[in-house]
Amino acid sequence: MSVSLQQSSASAVLEARRAHNDKLARKADQARAVWFPLTLLALLSLLPLLQLSGNYNYVLHIVLFTASYVAMASSWNILGGFTGYVSLGHAVFFAIGGYFSGMILARFGISTIVTAPVAGLVAAIAGYLIGRITLNVRGPSFIISSIALLMIARILFDNWAFIGGANGVTLPVNSLSAQWAKVPYYYAMLAIAAVTVWVSYRIKHSKFGLGLRAISKDEVKAESAGIDTRFYKVLAFALSAFFVGMTGAVWGEYLTYLRPNIFLIILVSANLVLMCILGGKGTIAGPVIGAILIVALNELFVATMGASELNILGTGLVMALGLIFFPLGLVGTLARRGKLPRVLNWD
Amino acid sequence: MLEVRNLCKHYGGIKAVDGASFTVEKGTITALIGPNGAGKTTAFNCISRTVAPTSGEVWLDGERIDHLRPHKVTTRGLSRTLQISRNLSDMTVIENVIVQSRVDGLRGLFRPAIGAEEKDKAMSILEFLGITRIAYEDGHNLSYGQKKLMDLAALLMSDPKIILLDEPAGGVNPSLMEEIVSHIRALNEKGLTVLIVEHNMDLIMRLSHKVVVMAQGRVICSATPEVVRRDPQVLEAYLGGVLEEEAA
Repeated sequence: MSVSLQQSSASAVLEARRAHNDKLARKADQARAVWFPLTLLALLSLLPLLQLSGNYNYVLHIVLFTASYVAMASSWNILGGFTGYVSLGHAVFFAIGGYFSGMILARFGISTIVTAPVAGLVAAIAGYLIGRITLNVRGPSFIISSIALLMIARILFDNWAFIGGANGVTLPVNSLSAQWAKVPYYYAMLAIAAVTVWVSYRIKHSKFGLGLRAISKDEVKAESAGIDTRFYKVLAFALSAFFVGMTGAVWGEYLTYLRPNIFLIILVSANLVLMCILGGKGTIAGPVIGAILIVALNELFVATMGASELNILGTGLVMALGLIFFPLGLVGTLARRGKLPRVLNWD
Repeated sequence: MLEVRNLCKHYGGIKAVDGASFTVEKGTITALIGPNGAGKTTAFNCISRTVAPTSGEVWLDGERIDHLRPHKVTTRGLSRTLQISRNLSDMTVIENVIVQSRVDGLRGLFRPAIGAEEKDKAMSILEFLGITRIAYEDGHNLSYGQKKLMDLAALLMSDPKIILLDEPAGGVNPSLMEEIVSHIRALNEKGLTVLIVEHNMDLIMRLSHKVVVMAQGRVICSATPEVVRRDPQVLEAYLGGVLEEEAA
Protein backbone atom coordinates (compact mmCIF):
# COMPACT_ATOMS: atom_id res chain seq x y z
CA MET A 1 0.00 0.00 0.00
CA SER A 2 2.65 2.43 1.01
CA VAL A 3 4.70 1.47 -2.02
CA SER A 4 1.90 2.38 -4.42
CA LEU A 5 1.39 5.65 -2.55
CA GLN A 6 5.03 6.51 -2.98
CA GLN A 7 4.84 5.79 -6.67
CA SER A 8 1.84 7.99 -7.23
CA SER A 9 3.42 10.87 -5.36
CA ALA A 10 6.60 10.41 -7.37
CA SER A 11 4.67 10.62 -10.63
CA ALA A 12 2.86 13.67 -9.26
CA VAL A 13 6.25 15.30 -8.72
CA LEU A 14 7.27 14.41 -12.27
CA GLU A 15 3.99 15.78 -13.56
CA ALA A 16 4.48 19.03 -11.70
CA ARG A 17 8.02 19.28 -12.98
CA ARG A 18 6.90 18.74 -16.55
CA ALA A 19 4.24 21.39 -16.16
CA HIS A 20 6.87 23.76 -14.77
CA ASN A 21 9.22 23.11 -17.68
CA ASP A 22 6.43 23.62 -20.19
CA LYS A 23 5.63 26.90 -18.52
CA LEU A 24 9.26 28.03 -18.84
CA ALA A 25 9.30 27.06 -22.50
CA ARG A 26 6.06 28.92 -23.14
CA LYS A 27 7.28 31.98 -21.27
CA ALA A 28 10.20 32.36 -23.67
CA ASP A 29 7.74 32.19 -26.56
CA GLN A 30 5.29 34.68 -25.15
CA ALA A 31 7.91 37.29 -24.32
CA ARG A 32 8.60 37.70 -28.02
CA ALA A 33 7.08 40.72 -29.76
CA VAL A 34 6.93 39.79 -33.43
CA TRP A 35 4.13 42.29 -33.99
CA PHE A 36 6.51 45.20 -33.46
CA PRO A 37 8.85 44.71 -36.44
CA LEU A 38 5.83 43.83 -38.60
CA THR A 39 4.05 47.05 -37.61
CA LEU A 40 7.24 49.01 -38.23
CA LEU A 41 7.50 47.44 -41.67
CA ALA A 42 3.88 48.27 -42.48
CA LEU A 43 4.36 51.90 -41.42
CA LEU A 44 7.57 52.25 -43.42
CA SER A 45 5.92 50.83 -46.51
CA LEU A 46 3.33 53.61 -46.29
CA LEU A 47 6.02 56.28 -45.92
CA PRO A 48 6.40 57.08 -49.67
CA LEU A 49 2.81 58.40 -49.59
CA LEU A 50 4.36 61.49 -47.99
CA GLN A 51 5.63 62.37 -51.45
CA LEU A 52 2.06 63.25 -52.44
CA SER A 53 2.10 66.16 -50.02
CA GLY A 54 5.59 67.53 -50.59
CA ASN A 55 9.21 66.58 -51.10
CA TYR A 56 10.42 64.15 -48.49
CA ASN A 57 13.31 62.71 -50.47
CA TYR A 58 15.68 63.16 -47.53
CA VAL A 59 13.48 61.05 -45.25
CA LEU A 60 13.20 58.36 -47.90
CA HIS A 61 16.95 58.41 -48.42
CA ILE A 62 17.67 58.01 -44.72
CA VAL A 63 15.23 55.12 -44.34
CA LEU A 64 16.60 53.46 -47.50
CA PHE A 65 20.16 53.93 -46.30
CA THR A 66 19.28 52.50 -42.87
CA ALA A 67 17.44 49.58 -44.46
CA SER A 68 20.50 48.75 -46.54
CA TYR A 69 22.58 48.61 -43.38
CA VAL A 70 19.89 46.64 -41.52
CA ALA A 71 20.01 44.04 -44.29
CA MET A 72 23.80 43.89 -44.35
CA ALA A 73 24.27 43.91 -40.57
CA SER A 74 21.65 41.16 -40.12
CA SER A 75 23.34 39.21 -42.86
CA TRP A 76 26.77 39.68 -41.28
CA ASN A 77 25.22 38.54 -38.00
CA ILE A 78 24.60 35.06 -39.45
CA LEU A 79 28.35 34.53 -39.68
CA GLY A 80 29.72 36.95 -37.08
CA GLY A 81 26.99 36.71 -34.47
CA PHE A 82 25.67 33.15 -34.62
CA THR A 83 28.83 31.39 -35.74
CA GLY A 84 31.40 33.62 -34.04
CA TYR A 85 33.54 34.30 -37.10
CA VAL A 86 34.18 38.05 -37.32
CA SER A 87 34.62 39.04 -40.95
CA LEU A 88 35.95 42.43 -42.04
CA GLY A 89 35.73 41.43 -45.69
CA HIS A 90 32.00 41.62 -46.29
CA ALA A 91 32.44 44.73 -48.42
CA VAL A 92 33.72 42.33 -51.08
CA PHE A 93 30.30 40.71 -51.40
CA PHE A 94 28.71 44.17 -51.42
CA ALA A 95 30.96 44.99 -54.40
CA ILE A 96 30.37 41.66 -56.15
CA GLY A 97 26.61 42.14 -55.94
CA GLY A 98 26.83 45.78 -56.98
CA TYR A 99 29.10 45.16 -59.95
CA PHE A 100 27.32 42.04 -61.17
CA SER A 101 23.91 43.65 -61.36
CA GLY A 102 25.36 47.04 -62.31
CA MET A 103 27.19 45.64 -65.33
CA ILE A 104 24.02 43.88 -66.48
CA LEU A 105 22.16 47.16 -66.13
CA ALA A 106 24.86 49.06 -68.03
CA ARG A 107 25.03 46.51 -70.90
CA PHE A 108 21.47 45.21 -71.20
CA GLY A 109 19.39 47.77 -69.35
CA ILE A 110 17.82 45.27 -66.93
CA SER A 111 17.07 46.91 -63.59
CA THR A 112 19.18 45.69 -60.65
CA ILE A 113 15.99 45.22 -58.65
CA VAL A 114 15.18 42.33 -60.98
CA THR A 115 18.67 40.85 -61.02
CA ALA A 116 19.40 41.37 -57.30
CA PRO A 117 18.61 37.74 -56.32
CA VAL A 118 21.03 36.51 -59.00
CA ALA A 119 23.64 38.98 -57.74
CA GLY A 120 23.06 37.56 -54.26
CA LEU A 121 23.60 34.07 -55.62
CA VAL A 122 26.86 35.09 -57.28
CA ALA A 123 28.02 36.65 -54.00
CA ALA A 124 26.97 33.49 -52.15
CA ILE A 125 28.96 31.28 -54.52
CA ALA A 126 31.97 33.55 -54.05
CA GLY A 127 31.38 33.35 -50.30
CA TYR A 128 31.17 29.57 -50.46
CA LEU A 129 34.46 29.26 -52.35
CA ILE A 130 36.27 31.80 -50.17
CA GLY A 131 34.84 30.22 -47.04
CA ARG A 132 36.18 26.82 -48.03
CA ILE A 133 39.65 28.34 -47.78
CA THR A 134 39.50 30.95 -45.00
CA LEU A 135 37.16 29.22 -42.55
CA ASN A 136 39.86 26.72 -41.67
CA VAL A 137 41.32 29.25 -39.27
CA ARG A 138 39.47 31.04 -36.52
CA GLY A 139 39.88 34.01 -34.20
CA PRO A 140 42.38 36.73 -35.15
CA SER A 141 43.69 34.68 -38.09
CA PHE A 142 40.25 34.63 -39.67
CA ILE A 143 39.86 38.40 -39.23
CA ILE A 144 43.22 39.00 -40.92
CA SER A 145 42.26 36.65 -43.75
CA SER A 146 39.06 38.60 -44.31
CA ILE A 147 40.97 41.91 -44.47
CA ALA A 148 43.35 40.31 -46.95
CA LEU A 149 40.36 39.28 -49.04
CA LEU A 150 39.22 42.90 -49.12
CA MET A 151 42.66 44.12 -50.22
CA ILE A 152 42.98 41.50 -52.94
CA ALA A 153 39.52 42.35 -54.25
CA ARG A 154 40.36 46.06 -54.26
CA ILE A 155 43.48 45.51 -56.36
CA LEU A 156 41.51 43.26 -58.70
CA PHE A 157 38.61 45.70 -59.17
CA ASP A 158 40.93 48.72 -59.49
CA ASN A 159 42.76 47.11 -62.41
CA TRP A 160 40.01 45.25 -64.22
CA ALA A 161 39.36 47.31 -67.36
CA PHE A 162 36.13 45.48 -68.26
CA ILE A 163 34.39 46.88 -65.19
CA GLY A 164 35.94 50.32 -65.51
CA GLY A 165 38.94 49.90 -63.22
CA ALA A 166 39.44 52.55 -60.57
CA ASN A 167 37.26 55.03 -62.50
CA GLY A 168 34.25 52.77 -62.20
CA VAL A 169 31.13 52.73 -64.34
CA THR A 170 28.32 55.20 -64.66
CA LEU A 171 24.89 53.60 -64.69
CA PRO A 172 21.81 54.90 -66.50
CA VAL A 173 19.39 56.96 -64.42
CA ASN A 174 15.79 55.79 -64.32
CA SER A 175 13.13 57.78 -66.14
CA LEU A 176 11.04 58.74 -63.09
CA SER A 177 10.70 62.32 -61.92
CA ALA A 178 12.91 63.48 -59.04
CA GLN A 179 9.90 63.23 -56.76
CA TRP A 180 9.43 59.49 -57.36
CA ALA A 181 12.90 58.35 -58.50
CA LYS A 182 13.86 56.95 -55.11
CA VAL A 183 10.67 55.01 -54.48
CA PRO A 184 11.45 51.75 -56.38
CA TYR A 185 14.79 51.43 -54.59
CA TYR A 186 13.14 52.32 -51.32
CA TYR A 187 10.74 49.39 -51.59
CA ALA A 188 13.41 47.04 -52.89
CA MET A 189 15.74 47.83 -50.01
CA LEU A 190 12.93 47.61 -47.46
CA ALA A 191 11.98 44.19 -48.83
CA ILE A 192 15.58 42.98 -48.75
CA ALA A 193 15.97 44.17 -45.15
CA ALA A 194 12.70 42.51 -44.08
CA VAL A 195 13.58 39.22 -45.76
CA THR A 196 17.07 39.24 -44.25
CA VAL A 197 15.77 39.79 -40.73
CA TRP A 198 13.15 37.08 -41.26
CA VAL A 199 15.73 34.63 -42.60
CA SER A 200 18.09 35.31 -39.71
CA TYR A 201 15.19 34.66 -37.34
CA ARG A 202 14.40 31.39 -39.09
CA ILE A 203 18.05 30.36 -39.00
CA LYS A 204 18.35 31.11 -35.32
CA HIS A 205 15.41 28.85 -34.56
CA SER A 206 16.48 25.98 -36.78
CA LYS A 207 18.76 22.99 -36.32
CA PHE A 208 21.25 24.89 -38.42
CA GLY A 209 21.17 27.86 -36.04
CA LEU A 210 21.56 25.63 -33.01
CA GLY A 211 24.58 24.04 -34.69
CA LEU A 212 26.05 27.46 -35.49
CA ARG A 213 25.66 28.52 -31.88
CA ALA A 214 27.40 25.33 -30.78
CA ILE A 215 30.24 26.09 -33.20
CA SER A 216 30.63 29.60 -31.81
CA LYS A 217 30.98 28.20 -28.29
CA ASP A 218 33.23 25.22 -28.87
CA GLU A 219 34.05 23.87 -32.27
CA VAL A 220 35.68 20.63 -31.12
CA LYS A 221 32.70 19.79 -28.97
CA ALA A 222 30.29 20.70 -31.77
CA GLU A 223 32.12 18.42 -34.18
CA SER A 224 32.09 15.53 -31.73
CA ALA A 225 28.38 16.15 -31.20
CA GLY A 226 27.91 15.06 -34.80
CA ILE A 227 27.78 18.48 -36.43
CA ASP A 228 29.49 18.82 -39.80
CA THR A 229 31.21 22.02 -38.67
CA ARG A 230 32.99 22.70 -41.97
CA PHE A 231 29.77 22.52 -43.96
CA TYR A 232 27.81 24.56 -41.41
CA LYS A 233 30.41 27.32 -41.39
CA VAL A 234 30.72 27.53 -45.16
CA LEU A 235 26.94 27.55 -45.56
CA ALA A 236 26.68 30.34 -42.98
CA PHE A 237 29.34 32.30 -44.88
CA ALA A 238 27.50 31.82 -48.19
CA LEU A 239 24.12 32.86 -46.72
CA SER A 240 25.70 35.85 -45.09
CA ALA A 241 27.28 36.86 -48.42
CA PHE A 242 23.96 36.37 -50.26
CA PHE A 243 22.05 39.24 -48.67
CA VAL A 244 25.04 41.58 -48.68
CA GLY A 245 25.33 40.90 -52.42
CA MET A 246 21.64 41.66 -52.97
CA THR A 247 21.96 44.90 -51.05
CA GLY A 248 24.99 45.86 -53.13
CA ALA A 249 23.07 45.28 -56.35
CA VAL A 250 20.26 47.67 -55.50
CA TRP A 251 22.63 50.17 -53.89
CA GLY A 252 24.68 50.42 -57.11
CA GLU A 253 21.73 51.48 -59.25
CA TYR A 254 20.50 53.81 -56.54
CA LEU A 255 23.87 55.60 -56.53
CA THR A 256 23.94 55.49 -60.37
CA TYR A 257 27.62 54.69 -60.42
CA LEU A 258 29.98 51.93 -59.34
CA ARG A 259 33.46 52.65 -58.12
CA PRO A 260 35.87 50.49 -56.09
CA ASN A 261 36.53 53.30 -53.62
CA ILE A 262 32.84 53.35 -52.67
CA PHE A 263 32.14 49.64 -52.53
CA LEU A 264 35.47 48.15 -51.54
CA ILE A 265 36.41 50.12 -48.47
CA ILE A 266 36.89 48.73 -45.02
CA LEU A 267 34.46 51.34 -43.64
CA VAL A 268 31.51 49.38 -45.07
CA SER A 269 32.68 46.16 -43.39
CA ALA A 270 33.61 47.93 -40.19
CA ASN A 271 30.18 49.56 -40.02
CA LEU A 272 28.53 46.13 -40.12
CA VAL A 273 30.71 44.91 -37.27
CA LEU A 274 30.11 48.05 -35.19
CA MET A 275 26.35 47.89 -35.72
CA CYS A 276 26.19 44.27 -34.63
CA ILE A 277 28.41 44.86 -31.62
CA LEU A 278 26.53 47.97 -30.51
CA GLY A 279 23.11 46.37 -31.01
CA GLY A 280 24.02 42.90 -29.77
CA LYS A 281 25.74 40.15 -31.72
CA GLY A 282 23.77 36.95 -32.18
CA THR A 283 20.37 38.52 -31.47
CA ILE A 284 17.76 39.28 -34.12
CA ALA A 285 16.94 42.82 -33.06
CA GLY A 286 20.56 43.75 -32.30
CA PRO A 287 21.82 44.44 -35.84
CA VAL A 288 18.60 46.34 -36.64
CA ILE A 289 18.91 48.55 -33.57
CA GLY A 290 22.64 48.98 -34.17
CA ALA A 291 22.11 50.04 -37.78
CA ILE A 292 19.40 52.52 -36.85
CA LEU A 293 21.49 53.98 -34.02
CA ILE A 294 24.69 54.39 -36.01
CA VAL A 295 23.00 55.90 -39.05
CA ALA A 296 20.97 58.21 -36.82
CA LEU A 297 23.99 59.27 -34.77
CA ASN A 298 26.03 59.91 -37.91
CA GLU A 299 23.28 62.12 -39.32
CA LEU A 300 22.81 63.93 -36.03
CA PHE A 301 26.49 64.69 -35.56
CA VAL A 302 27.01 65.72 -39.17
CA ALA A 303 24.02 68.06 -38.88
CA THR A 304 25.14 69.61 -35.60
CA MET A 305 28.93 69.55 -35.89
CA GLY A 306 29.37 69.70 -39.64
CA ALA A 307 31.21 67.21 -41.76
CA SER A 308 34.49 67.66 -39.92
CA GLU A 309 36.46 65.22 -37.82
CA LEU A 310 34.29 66.22 -34.87
CA ASN A 311 31.28 64.23 -36.04
CA ILE A 312 33.41 61.07 -36.27
CA LEU A 313 34.65 61.74 -32.73
CA GLY A 314 31.06 62.10 -31.55
CA THR A 315 30.00 58.75 -33.03
CA GLY A 316 33.11 57.09 -31.62
CA LEU A 317 32.43 58.47 -28.17
CA VAL A 318 28.87 57.16 -28.16
CA MET A 319 30.14 53.76 -29.34
CA ALA A 320 32.73 53.61 -26.56
CA LEU A 321 30.24 54.62 -23.87
CA GLY A 322 27.68 52.18 -25.22
CA LEU A 323 30.10 49.31 -25.00
CA ILE A 324 31.28 50.25 -21.50
CA PHE A 325 27.74 50.10 -20.17
CA PHE A 326 26.39 47.45 -22.55
CA PRO A 327 29.27 45.05 -23.15
CA LEU A 328 27.09 42.52 -24.98
CA GLY A 329 25.43 45.21 -27.05
CA LEU A 330 22.17 46.94 -26.18
CA VAL A 331 19.85 44.02 -26.86
CA GLY A 332 22.25 41.35 -25.61
CA THR A 333 23.02 43.10 -22.32
CA LEU A 334 19.42 44.00 -21.55
CA ALA A 335 18.33 40.42 -22.31
CA ARG A 336 21.04 39.04 -20.04
CA ARG A 337 19.87 41.32 -17.22
CA GLY A 338 16.25 40.38 -17.90
CA LYS A 339 15.38 44.01 -18.64
CA LEU A 340 14.81 43.82 -22.36
CA PRO A 341 11.66 45.74 -23.32
CA ARG A 342 9.21 43.41 -25.01
CA VAL A 343 9.18 45.42 -28.23
CA LEU A 344 12.87 44.61 -28.72
CA ASN A 345 12.56 40.89 -28.08
CA TRP A 346 12.31 39.42 -31.58
CA ASP A 347 14.31 36.30 -30.88
CA MET B 1 32.32 -4.28 -31.92
CA LEU B 2 35.19 -1.82 -31.72
CA GLU B 3 38.58 -2.97 -32.83
CA VAL B 4 41.75 -0.93 -32.61
CA ARG B 5 44.69 -2.28 -34.62
CA ASN B 6 48.22 -1.06 -34.21
CA LEU B 7 47.18 2.53 -33.51
CA CYS B 8 50.01 5.10 -33.50
CA LYS B 9 49.98 8.79 -32.79
CA HIS B 10 53.28 10.64 -32.86
CA TYR B 11 53.75 14.27 -31.95
CA GLY B 12 57.12 15.05 -33.46
CA GLY B 13 59.47 12.67 -31.68
CA ILE B 14 57.04 11.88 -28.91
CA LYS B 15 55.15 8.66 -29.40
CA ALA B 16 51.97 9.29 -27.42
CA VAL B 17 50.36 6.11 -28.72
CA ASP B 18 52.78 3.60 -30.12
CA GLY B 19 51.13 0.59 -31.68
CA ALA B 20 48.17 -0.01 -29.39
CA SER B 21 45.77 -2.83 -30.26
CA PHE B 22 42.68 -3.89 -28.37
CA THR B 23 39.06 -4.81 -28.88
CA VAL B 24 35.83 -3.90 -27.16
CA GLU B 25 33.21 -6.64 -27.32
CA LYS B 26 29.55 -5.84 -27.89
CA GLY B 27 27.55 -5.27 -24.74
CA THR B 28 30.50 -5.01 -22.38
CA ILE B 29 32.00 -2.29 -20.27
CA THR B 30 35.68 -2.07 -21.12
CA ALA B 31 38.03 0.13 -19.14
CA LEU B 32 41.18 1.72 -20.44
CA ILE B 33 43.63 2.42 -17.63
CA GLY B 34 47.27 3.26 -17.23
CA PRO B 35 49.62 5.67 -15.46
CA ASN B 36 49.70 9.34 -16.41
CA GLY B 37 50.98 9.90 -19.92
CA ALA B 38 50.24 6.36 -20.99
CA GLY B 39 48.34 7.64 -24.02
CA LYS B 40 44.81 6.79 -22.94
CA THR B 41 43.23 10.08 -23.86
CA THR B 42 45.24 10.29 -27.08
CA ALA B 43 44.01 6.83 -28.00
CA PHE B 44 40.47 8.02 -27.27
CA ASN B 45 40.96 11.07 -29.43
CA CYS B 46 42.25 8.91 -32.28
CA ILE B 47 39.32 6.50 -32.02
CA SER B 48 36.75 9.29 -32.10
CA ARG B 49 38.91 10.98 -34.74
CA THR B 50 39.16 14.24 -32.76
CA VAL B 51 42.82 13.97 -33.74
CA ALA B 52 44.06 12.07 -36.78
CA PRO B 53 46.09 8.95 -35.95
CA THR B 54 49.57 8.71 -37.49
CA SER B 55 48.94 5.13 -38.50
CA GLY B 56 46.84 2.16 -37.55
CA GLU B 57 43.24 1.19 -38.04
CA VAL B 58 40.01 1.57 -36.09
CA TRP B 59 37.07 -0.65 -36.98
CA LEU B 60 33.52 -0.20 -35.77
CA ASP B 61 31.09 -3.03 -36.55
CA GLY B 62 33.12 -4.15 -39.54
CA GLU B 63 33.54 -0.62 -40.92
CA ARG B 64 36.83 1.21 -40.90
CA ILE B 65 36.33 4.60 -39.26
CA ASP B 66 39.80 6.06 -38.76
CA HIS B 67 39.69 8.12 -41.96
CA LEU B 68 36.24 9.63 -41.32
CA ARG B 69 35.66 13.19 -40.11
CA PRO B 70 34.70 13.35 -36.40
CA HIS B 71 31.01 14.12 -36.94
CA LYS B 72 30.76 11.11 -39.26
CA VAL B 73 32.15 8.90 -36.50
CA THR B 74 29.40 10.19 -34.24
CA THR B 75 26.70 9.48 -36.79
CA ARG B 76 28.12 5.94 -37.26
CA GLY B 77 27.17 5.32 -33.63
CA LEU B 78 30.27 6.15 -31.64
CA SER B 79 29.86 9.07 -29.24
CA ARG B 80 32.30 10.38 -26.70
CA THR B 81 32.56 12.79 -23.82
CA LEU B 82 35.51 15.10 -23.46
CA GLN B 83 37.80 14.84 -20.45
CA ILE B 84 37.17 18.34 -19.20
CA SER B 85 33.46 18.89 -19.43
CA ARG B 86 33.25 21.45 -22.18
CA ASN B 87 29.64 22.43 -22.19
CA LEU B 88 28.18 25.07 -24.42
CA SER B 89 27.44 28.07 -22.24
CA ASP B 90 24.71 30.52 -23.25
CA MET B 91 22.71 27.48 -24.26
CA THR B 92 20.23 25.77 -21.99
CA VAL B 93 20.73 22.18 -20.89
CA ILE B 94 18.01 20.95 -23.21
CA GLU B 95 19.65 22.76 -26.13
CA ASN B 96 22.99 21.24 -25.17
CA VAL B 97 21.37 17.83 -25.32
CA ILE B 98 19.33 18.34 -28.47
CA VAL B 99 22.29 19.74 -30.38
CA GLN B 100 23.59 16.17 -30.39
CA SER B 101 20.58 14.74 -32.18
CA ARG B 102 20.99 13.63 -35.75
CA VAL B 103 20.25 16.06 -38.57
CA ASP B 104 19.51 14.59 -41.98
CA GLY B 105 20.03 16.44 -45.20
CA LEU B 106 19.61 20.08 -46.13
CA ARG B 107 15.91 20.12 -45.27
CA GLY B 108 16.68 18.74 -41.86
CA LEU B 109 18.93 21.71 -41.25
CA PHE B 110 16.06 24.14 -41.42
CA ARG B 111 13.61 22.27 -39.26
CA PRO B 112 12.80 23.91 -35.92
CA ALA B 113 15.72 23.66 -33.51
CA ILE B 114 13.73 21.83 -30.87
CA GLY B 115 11.12 19.56 -32.37
CA ALA B 116 8.35 18.14 -30.19
CA GLU B 117 9.55 14.56 -30.64
CA GLU B 118 13.15 15.46 -29.83
CA LYS B 119 12.04 17.42 -26.83
CA ASP B 120 10.19 14.42 -25.45
CA LYS B 121 13.21 12.23 -26.09
CA ALA B 122 15.58 14.71 -24.45
CA MET B 123 13.29 15.07 -21.47
CA SER B 124 13.03 11.31 -21.03
CA ILE B 125 16.83 11.08 -21.08
CA LEU B 126 17.08 13.88 -18.51
CA GLU B 127 14.47 12.08 -16.45
CA PHE B 128 16.46 8.85 -16.65
CA LEU B 129 19.49 10.74 -15.32
CA GLY B 130 17.37 12.58 -12.77
CA ILE B 131 18.14 16.11 -13.96
CA THR B 132 14.88 17.32 -15.49
CA ARG B 133 14.83 20.16 -12.99
CA ILE B 134 17.76 21.85 -14.74
CA ALA B 135 16.41 21.38 -18.28
CA TYR B 136 16.00 25.12 -18.88
CA GLU B 137 19.01 26.17 -16.84
CA ASP B 138 21.76 27.97 -18.70
CA GLY B 139 24.84 25.84 -19.39
CA HIS B 140 27.21 28.06 -17.41
CA ASN B 141 25.11 27.95 -14.22
CA LEU B 142 25.69 24.23 -13.73
CA SER B 143 27.84 22.57 -11.12
CA TYR B 144 30.68 20.36 -12.25
CA GLY B 145 28.74 17.19 -11.52
CA GLN B 146 25.65 18.45 -13.34
CA LYS B 147 27.82 19.15 -16.36
CA LYS B 148 29.04 15.56 -16.30
CA LEU B 149 25.47 14.32 -16.24
CA MET B 150 24.52 16.72 -19.00
CA ASP B 151 27.41 15.39 -21.12
CA LEU B 152 26.10 11.89 -20.59
CA ALA B 153 22.58 12.98 -21.54
CA ALA B 154 23.91 14.60 -24.72
CA LEU B 155 25.69 11.37 -25.67
CA LEU B 156 22.52 9.37 -25.39
CA MET B 157 20.66 11.78 -27.65
CA SER B 158 22.59 10.58 -30.69
CA ASP B 159 21.45 6.94 -30.23
CA PRO B 160 24.98 5.59 -30.01
CA LYS B 161 25.97 1.95 -30.27
CA ILE B 162 29.09 2.54 -28.22
CA ILE B 163 29.97 5.40 -25.90
CA LEU B 164 33.45 6.52 -24.93
CA LEU B 165 33.60 8.13 -21.51
CA ASP B 166 36.71 10.11 -20.63
CA GLU B 167 36.98 10.24 -16.84
CA PRO B 168 33.26 10.36 -16.11
CA ALA B 169 33.92 10.45 -12.38
CA GLY B 170 36.87 12.87 -12.44
CA GLY B 171 36.43 15.61 -9.88
CA VAL B 172 32.94 14.69 -8.74
CA ASN B 173 31.92 13.89 -5.17
CA PRO B 174 31.54 10.26 -4.01
CA SER B 175 27.75 10.21 -3.90
CA LEU B 176 27.46 11.57 -7.42
CA MET B 177 30.09 9.07 -8.49
CA GLU B 178 27.81 6.30 -7.25
CA GLU B 179 24.99 7.82 -9.23
CA ILE B 180 27.09 7.91 -12.39
CA VAL B 181 28.22 4.32 -11.83
CA SER B 182 24.64 3.13 -11.53
CA HIS B 183 23.66 5.08 -14.67
CA ILE B 184 26.49 3.52 -16.65
CA ARG B 185 25.55 0.08 -15.40
CA ALA B 186 21.89 0.61 -16.26
CA LEU B 187 22.77 1.78 -19.75
CA ASN B 188 25.02 -1.22 -20.24
CA GLU B 189 22.22 -3.52 -19.17
CA LYS B 190 20.08 -1.96 -21.91
CA GLY B 191 22.70 -3.18 -24.37
CA LEU B 192 24.96 -0.16 -24.77
CA THR B 193 28.66 -0.90 -25.18
CA VAL B 194 30.92 1.30 -23.05
CA LEU B 195 34.60 2.16 -23.26
CA ILE B 196 35.77 4.15 -20.28
CA VAL B 197 38.98 5.91 -19.24
CA GLU B 198 39.20 6.39 -15.52
CA HIS B 199 41.73 6.88 -12.74
CA ASN B 200 39.50 5.67 -9.96
CA MET B 201 40.58 2.01 -9.60
CA ASP B 202 37.76 1.14 -7.26
CA LEU B 203 35.22 2.24 -9.84
CA ILE B 204 37.02 0.38 -12.63
CA MET B 205 37.24 -2.87 -10.71
CA ARG B 206 33.56 -2.78 -9.80
CA LEU B 207 32.20 -1.69 -13.13
CA SER B 208 34.16 -3.21 -15.95
CA HIS B 209 34.07 -6.63 -17.57
CA LYS B 210 37.46 -6.18 -19.17
CA VAL B 211 40.40 -3.92 -18.45
CA VAL B 212 42.94 -2.78 -21.02
CA VAL B 213 46.12 -1.45 -19.45
CA MET B 214 48.27 0.99 -21.37
CA ALA B 215 51.76 2.17 -20.56
CA GLN B 216 54.02 4.31 -22.72
CA GLY B 217 51.62 4.20 -25.61
CA ARG B 218 51.38 0.42 -25.72
CA VAL B 219 48.86 -2.09 -24.41
CA ILE B 220 50.64 -4.19 -21.82
CA CYS B 221 47.74 -6.25 -20.55
CA SER B 222 44.15 -6.93 -21.50
CA ALA B 223 42.09 -9.17 -19.23
CA THR B 224 39.39 -9.31 -16.57
CA PRO B 225 39.78 -6.99 -13.57
CA GLU B 226 40.77 -9.90 -11.29
CA VAL B 227 43.60 -10.94 -13.56
CA VAL B 228 44.81 -7.40 -14.20
CA ARG B 229 44.97 -6.69 -10.48
CA ARG B 230 47.56 -9.44 -10.02
CA ASP B 231 49.52 -8.98 -13.24
CA PRO B 232 53.17 -8.24 -12.45
CA GLN B 233 53.65 -6.14 -15.57
CA VAL B 234 50.76 -3.88 -14.61
CA LEU B 235 52.05 -3.45 -11.08
CA GLU B 236 55.47 -2.60 -12.44
CA ALA B 237 54.02 0.00 -14.81
CA TYR B 238 52.16 1.66 -11.96
CA LEU B 239 55.00 1.44 -9.49
CA GLY B 240 57.63 2.86 -11.79
CA GLY B 241 59.17 -0.24 -13.30
CA VAL B 242 58.88 1.43 -16.66
CA LEU B 243 61.18 4.20 -15.55
CA GLU B 244 63.94 1.72 -14.73
CA GLU B 245 63.47 0.16 -18.13
CA GLU B 246 63.93 3.57 -19.68
CA ALA B 247 67.12 4.23 -17.76
CA ALA B 248 68.61 0.92 -18.79
